[in-house]
Amino acid sequence: MRLEKCWFCSSTVYPGHGIQFVRNDAKIFRFCRSKCHKNFKMKRNPRKVKWTKAYRRLHGKDMTQDSTFEFERKRNRPERYDRNLAENTLKAIKKIDKIRVAREERHHKLRMKGKKAKEQKEAAIELEQGIHLVKAPSVLAQDQSLTLPKIKVKVQAQAEENQAMEE
Amino acid sequence: MAASLASKWSRVGRSLLGGLGNNLSGLSSTSHEMASGNFLSQQQRTFIQMRTVLKVVDNSGAKTVMCIQPLKGRKVARLGDTIVASVKEAMPTGKVKKGQVVHAVVVRAAMQHGRFDGSEVRFDDNAVVLVNKAGEPTGTRVFGPVPHELRRKKHVSILTLAEHLA
Repeated sequence: MRLEKCWFCSSTVYPGHGIQFVRNDAKIFRFCRSKCHKNFKMKRNPRKVKWTKAYRRLHGKDMTQDSTFEFERKRNRPERYDRNLAENTLKAIKKIDKIRVAREERHHKLRMKGKKAKEQKEAAIELEQGIHLVKAPSVLAQDQSLTLPKIKVKVQAQAEENQAMEE
Repeated sequence: MAASLASKWSRVGRSLLGGLGNNLSGLSSTSHEMASGNFLSQQQRTFIQMRTVLKVVDNSGAKTVMCIQPLKGRKVARLGDTIVASVKEAMPTGKVKKGQVVHAVVVRAAMQHGRFDGSEVRFDDNAVVLVNKAGEPTGTRVFGPVPHELRRKKHVSILTLAEHLA
């Protein structure tokens, strides 16, 4: 049993899933689901299709080089079954996954880093331009600061509501 | 029985064409170049039956054959089945001549074939290797990839001649 990678989106193809297409030059293309297969038949380039791993790696959205990827390289030599080795491999897989996920999160955070300052700047501009929507100009003339005014609401509506309910 | 089967296939064909027609109208909103590509690529690949033209991928001399009958009492042939075929095109210097009736083994089928692990395989075209009544290949070489399914069908001789094993 072998877990393959989908040629189009690079997700793992588990046994029993997907289609493999054998081209006449004997190159085998494995697809995880018909979505990828149909995109392939449409002759789309996965490096240009936004949701594939190929695109994301190419455009720096996901991390490309990491030591955790070395563990997943394809080996063609079958290993003699050893219970201890199998047990250790399973433990290692869990740990490596945890580390890889942590690193990917760090990469994502780093990628999104410069955004907060930009968002605050944009918000400040919007407040300055649109303050007239929430603050009356007369109030603005008196109080130049861009804080939202306190609004006093008279509590009269409650009694009327109760009468409607009783009917 | 053959007539009813033929009518069933024509119904399938019409419904498929209807489905494809719907696809085409649905795709009119997308770019023009994609629409034509989609229409061609979403073909429904089916079995090998009478009148199916197949490519010959050995050096027996024939180029294309037309299926006359699937063997073993089957209605249709799939990957790995033997068929009776008529040679349509042949090389002038070859072991077989045009118009000859031969047996052939389907080595590549465009229709997906289910494997025992649950996966499916499909090839790019429909291809056969000419075979004698006993099952031995007429040619001495086989071109292109060849599936593992032949081992189960006891066509080991074809597998040994193959250059790639899919």
